[in-house]
Amino acid sequence: MSRLHVPFERHRLHNGLRVVLSPDRTVPIVAVNIWYGVGSRNEAAGKTGFAHLFEHMMFQGSAHVPKNRHFELIERVGGALNATTWFDRTNYFETVPSHHLELALWLESDRMGWMLPAMDQEKLDNQREVVKNEKRQRYDNQPYGDWDERLQVMMYPPDHPYHHTVIGSMEDIDAATLEDVERFFTTYYVPNNAVLTVAGDIESRPTLDLIERYFGAIASGAELPPLPGRTELPSKLGSMVRDHVVADVPLPRLIMAFRTPPFSSDDFAVAEVSRALLGMGRASRLYRSLVRERRVAKSVVTYIYPLLTGGSMLLAWATGYPDTDLAALEEAMSEEIEGLAGAHQDEVDRAIALAETDLVHTMERVATRADLLSMFELYFDDPGRINRELDRLRAVTVDQIRAYARERLGKDNRAVLTYQPKGAK
Amino acid sequence: MSALDRTAAPSPGPIQHFDFPPVERRALSNGLDLRVARLGRLPVASVRLFLRAGEAALPTGRAGLSVLTADSLDGGTQRRSGTELAEALERIGARLDASAGWEGTSVDLYCLAERLPEAMRLLAEFTREPSFPLEEVERARDQHLAGLRQRLMDPGTLAGDVALERYFAPEVPYARPLDGTVASVSGLGREDLAAYAEANFRPQHGGLIVVGDVDGREVAALAEECLGGWTGRPATAEDFAASPASTTRRVLVVDRPGSVQSEVRVGHIGAARGTPDYFALSVMNLVLGGMFTSRLNLNLREKNGFTYGVRSGFGFRSRPGPFEVSAAVGNEQTAPAVREILAELSLMADQGPTEEEVSAARDYAAGIFGIQLETASQIGSRLTQLVVYGLPDGYYHRYRDDVRSVTPEIAAEAARRHVRPEQAQIVVVGDASQVAGPLEALGIGPVEVRPLQPNG
Repeated sequence: MSRLHVPFERHRLHNGLRVVLSPDRTVPIVAVNIWYGVGSRNEAAGKTGFAHLFEHMMFQGSAHVPKNRHFELIERVGGALNATTWFDRTNYFETVPSHHLELALWLESDRMGWMLPAMDQEKLDNQREVVKNEKRQRYDNQPYGDWDERLQVMMYPPDHPYHHTVIGSMEDIDAATLEDVERFFTTYYVPNNAVLTVAGDIESRPTLDLIERYFGAIASGAELPPLPGRTELPSKLGSMVRDHVVADVPLPRLIMAFRTPPFSSDDFAVAEVSRALLGMGRASRLYRSLVRERRVAKSVVTYIYPLLTGGSMLLAWATGYPDTDLAALEEAMSEEIEGLAGAHQDEVDRAIALAETDLVHTMERVATRADLLSMFELYFDDPGRINRELDRLRAVTVDQIRAYARERLGKDNRAVLTYQPKGAK
Repeated sequence: MSALDRTAAPSPGPIQHFDFPPVERRALSNGLDLRVARLGRLPVASVRLFLRAGEAALPTGRAGLSVLTADSLDGGTQRRSGTELAEALERIGARLDASAGWEGTSVDLYCLAERLPEAMRLLAEFTREPSFPLEEVERARDQHLAGLRQRLMDPGTLAGDVALERYFAPEVPYARPLDGTVASVSGLGREDLAAYAEANFRPQHGGLIVVGDVDGREVAALAEECLGGWTGRPATAEDFAASPASTTRRVLVVDRPGSVQSEVRVGHIGAARGTPDYFALSVMNLVLGGMFTSRLNLNLREKNGFTYGVRSGFGFRSRPGPFEVSAAVGNEQTAPAVREILAELSLMADQGPTEEEVSAARDYAAGIFGIQLETASQIGSRLTQLVVYGLPDGYYHRYRDDVRSVTPEIAAEAARRHVRPEQAQIVVVGDASQVAGPLEALGIGPVEVRPLQPNG
């Protein structure tokens, strides 16, 4: 019913680089987006945080591009750029006026092919300090700043690649060396471990020629090493795991997490819609009950992580009032979540209607379309999934949600993390 | 094709022209200023109803009233409970939210274009017929007060809030956080909200901005149907001058023992949205601290590693808002970072930006303007600014020419007038035992240390 359809075509260069092109000439801008199949899950013991530190080094110049030049050139043409590191991947992207497409391809190809000659100790030391200040700003100096570290420890065993956070530890960041940079680049930053998507105001043929011209000469890398540690996980945690923290936080907070099937699983859609019923919108179960009716929570949020390795996570998060009793809050949240075993069709219909609006909103931006195309190509060899997202959610039935709640949202598959303000009862 | 020369940046292809979409403007019978931009890329509609009911018009004792009123609208209408309203919206996949700012209250709607008629009727009911049930107002107020408590314990937010008190004299609304204070919000009740909405949620001097896959005439008819019977003008705004708290440079350290970083703010009063220096200041600020390759960021981050990022900015409002540099820096890097920030401000105020810097910043501003006009909501938000600040209809069609007319001389003159490091107020939220001594040693002004306010 939605008129939403994202056109695309797929190609592969001789060196293994996968290319997705998605022409849409309604706005004269173009998005260049690269996903590398490397993230914090590839980090060995003692090297936590390195994939992210490496992402910073990718902006420190390459053989033909001096330090800061990448930013200068893209900003000069009025472009926007950034990169992010996550568990399963690292992405780099710029959006530029379409007549500057070649500039973006030159910059991205230079650092994919010729990054190492530009590396030196001074740049590494500088970015190490930047990253340490990023960690302080976003985690260490923040109330509740250690929540994801604590949660991952509960959700994943010590030998699993999701046991540690993306930002990593200060000790490991301090220990990173130039040899690490070289090894990581040679192992993971190879065309056969990357997807390049170009979306927006382009013509396919000339764009593909340009890509061949800039990326074609980059040498292929060796086959990727297996992930460190053990990646298999039982489908459930097997028990209730807890962590209670008394800290300098303003309000009590409760975070519940459940192991879910991985992003690649057919059942993932059921978990996604279940998450929506719990916490998307003000008619959702947790908002209605905890925030509006019982007034035990100031706010509630639910998330689902799209993780690939072994198992993913569904999170429900409630922040209480100063006098909220955490045990009562947990009881109330537990009741609502388990109550999903009695889900109704009209809740599902509302969740799908909102999901459709949100999906179309997401697709308004060429940068987001490019990012999704890269993700679906890298993860599933299937960029066409971008056009089936809504159908995938629509196919979920209320019976599946009920069964999911009974099987996966019980007390034997739950981690509970609570924060109590210091000095409170 | 010739052999590839990797050593030089490729030259651009032929430029693709970009134009701000045409805008149809009409006055509705009730005085509401309707602006519709047709954007047929995707089947969506983005609607923004702007009403002149803002925080800047409220006295200190009632600070937070317009924010709390906006937040309580979802509590229900004369016809529906809050949950029934939420269900009605979600059933048609519509997102509807109200929020208040300094200049007014904005009711934002986003939905599929085919759902616009139903969604607009709900928007009208939501705005015109709020019932403010007692328990919903209490809930919103408790949430609001808990939010104020969170502000006190988030070091970045706290630094920003404390800095405002150092920039603006106590009677200036901008001296307080937009959300108000515990004292002002605690005293607000259901009757205050109902009376405020009744007096101020009025169409005159307001605007209705609709962008998306819509027809101007149909939208006008729909707006008349939903909002036509609504009349009146908001109660008059309180006038004020943005006077400073101090023109002497001072340092305030808010002691947060155990902090592993300092949140730093350096600033003073800036300029109003209507200043003739608007474009000159925007370009100058890009050079100073408004983009990644700004002077401040290249110095503090890329050269020194003091911070994850530093930026500067002007809060352009109906009266002069703050001009401020902000960064989170390591403990031992706190005094050196403040020293470098003041040095960059002085250099800019004394000499202005270079020709090359101005040229790069102009190109950035002109280029990013187009990239940030991709979605219906982005265009709607730009059009709303025209209503809020009374800017001319052709403003965005001329925007890039206006940016390009800024010369280094003009930018330098604006910097001289509006950047005043000798009057800067410096606020640091951090561990005083580690940072106060080195800040004192800088000799930049008196250093005061204040304990972190206890909760509540």
